[in-house]
Amino acid sequence: MTETSTPVPGGFTGDPAAALRVNGTSGCCGNPARDDLALPAAASGPCCGTAAEAAADDACCGSAAKADAVTTGKGCCG
Amino acid sequence: MTTGLDGMVGAVDGDRLAATVAALADAPFTGRRAGSPGGAAAREWLAGRLRHAGAQVGVEPFEVRSVPEIHAVPRAAWHDGRTAEALTFGRQVMPQVTSADVPAARRGGLAVAGTGDPAGRWLVVPEGMSLFDAYGHAGGALGLLIGRAVDEHGWHYTMLAGPDPGPLPVLALDRAAYAAVAGAASARAGWLEASTPIRRADVTAANLHAHWSGGVPAVLLTAHYDGVGDLPGLRQPAAADNASGVAVVLEAARLLGPGHSLAVALLDAEEIGALGSAHHATQLRRAGTAPMVINVDGAGHLHEAAAVEAGGPAHRLLAALDQAGRHTGVPLAAGPVASDNRRYAAAGLPAIGIGAGMAGYHSPADTPGRVDLGTLVAVCRLVVATVWLATTDPARLSSSIGDRR
Repeated sequence: MTETSTPVPGGFTGDPAAALRVNGTSGCCGNPARDDLALPAAASGPCCGTAAEAAADDACCGSAAKADAVTTGKGCCG
Repeated sequence: MTTGLDGMVGAVDGDRLAATVAALADAPFTGRRAGSPGGAAAREWLAGRLRHAGAQVGVEPFEVRSVPEIHAVPRAAWHDGRTAEALTFGRQVMPQVTSADVPAARRGGLAVAGTGDPAGRWLVVPEGMSLFDAYGHAGGALGLLIGRAVDEHGWHYTMLAGPDPGPLPVLALDRAAYAAVAGAASARAGWLEASTPIRRADVTAANLHAHWSGGVPAVLLTAHYDGVGDLPGLRQPAAADNASGVAVVLEAARLLGPGHSLAVALLDAEEIGALGSAHHATQLRRAGTAPMVINVDGAGHLHEAAAVEAGGPAHRLLAALDQAGRHTGVPLAAGPVASDNRRYAAAGLPAIGIGAGMAGYHSPADTPGRVDLGTLVAVCRLVVATVWLATTDPARLSSSIGDRR
C-alpha cells in the first residue's frame, strides 16, 4: 500500500471526533444519534436557523438558514 | 486490473459520474419523487447499473403514508384596489405542504391575521406568527398567506416532509409579493383569488440493495435516489440532491464491489423524512448486523470543505475517512448532514454522512449543469479511499481519535 499521507491539504483540520458532536444533531429530519461511547451530548435546537425561526416557519428548521446551509455546502437537511 | 489504493482512486471516471447525474436528472424520471412512476423507472435503471457492475440486486418495498403532490398548476391572482396581478407558480406563489387540497379557486378580500373579522377573507400571517397561532385567528377565513424566501434564482423550495395538512389552503408568497399583499391587507383593500391543488397519497416506495459476495459486509455505501419530484409545468431534476450522491456510490461500487467487503443501499423516501433508511436500519438491527455506513447526500459543489456528521461507534470509520481525506486532498469539516446517516446511527451502527454542496436545492435550478464535475470526482475518490482503507488495511487505522469500536 502506498503512504496515505501526502502534502495536500485534505482531511480534517481539527479533531475528526468533532463530527460526532455536530451541533443540532437532535434536530431536523433524523433521530438523535445513539452510540455506545461516552460522547458529549449534542447541543439542542434545530440544525439550521434558530428555534424561533423554525417555529415561525412551522418546520423543524429555519427554512431560509437551511437553504443557505445546503446551498453553500455546509450540510444540513438533504 | 485496478489494484491498490492509488490505482483505485486513479480509476475514478469523471465521465461516468457526470453521465449518471445527467441520466437520473433527465425528464423520463420526472424528479424521482417516492412512489411516482419516475421514481420506479429510476430504480429500474439503477438496478441495471448495479447488475452491470456484477452485483446481486434486490428490491425492498415499503409503504409511505400521505405523500404530498401538487396535482395542478395553482391559480393565484390578486388586486390591490387599482390593478390586478397574476402570481407566477413556483416563483411568486407555492402551495405549502401543510395546505388543504382546494382545487377550485377561492376569491375574497384581504386581512391580516389577528386583526378584524377574518370571515370570507384571505389572511396574511404576520412575520413571526406561527401557523398554529394563525389558525387561532382564522375562523371562517378562506385561507392563509405566508412569506417565504426564494433561492438566488427566484424559485421557491419544494418540501415534502412536514406536518399533516390543516383545514385551510396555505400559500407561500415570495418576499416582494408578500410585502405588497400585506400592505393591501393592512389597509383592508384588494382581494385575492387562489387555489391550492395539493393532495396526499399513500404510496409504495422501495430501496435498492446490492452485494457482491455472501456474508456480512464491512461497509455499507448509501445514497438516496429519490427527489422532491417535478411540479406541474416545472421540471425539478434533483441533480445535486441527490443524483450526485448516487453517482458517487455507483462509481465507487463499480471499482470496489467485486473485491471488497461492500454492500450498497440506494434509498427511497429520504425527502419525506428519511423513511427508506429508517426501514433498512430496522432490518439491520433485527438481523444483528452492523456494517460501517457511509452516506453521501450532495456532491454538487465543494466550497471550503465537505461537511461530515458522524453517529454511533464511528471512530474507526472517521479515522479511515480522515486518512482518505488527507490522501486524496479533500478537506473535511464537522457539520450537520441531516440525512439517512442519522437513521443508521440511531440504530446503533457506525455511520457518517458526507455533504459537499447543493446548488438549486429543491427547486428547478437543481440541474446537472450546476453540478461541479471536480466535486463529483473528489468526493468519489474520498469514498473509494475510505472504503479501501476501512476494508483492506484496518491495522493502519490508528489515528489521533483512536479506535474504540
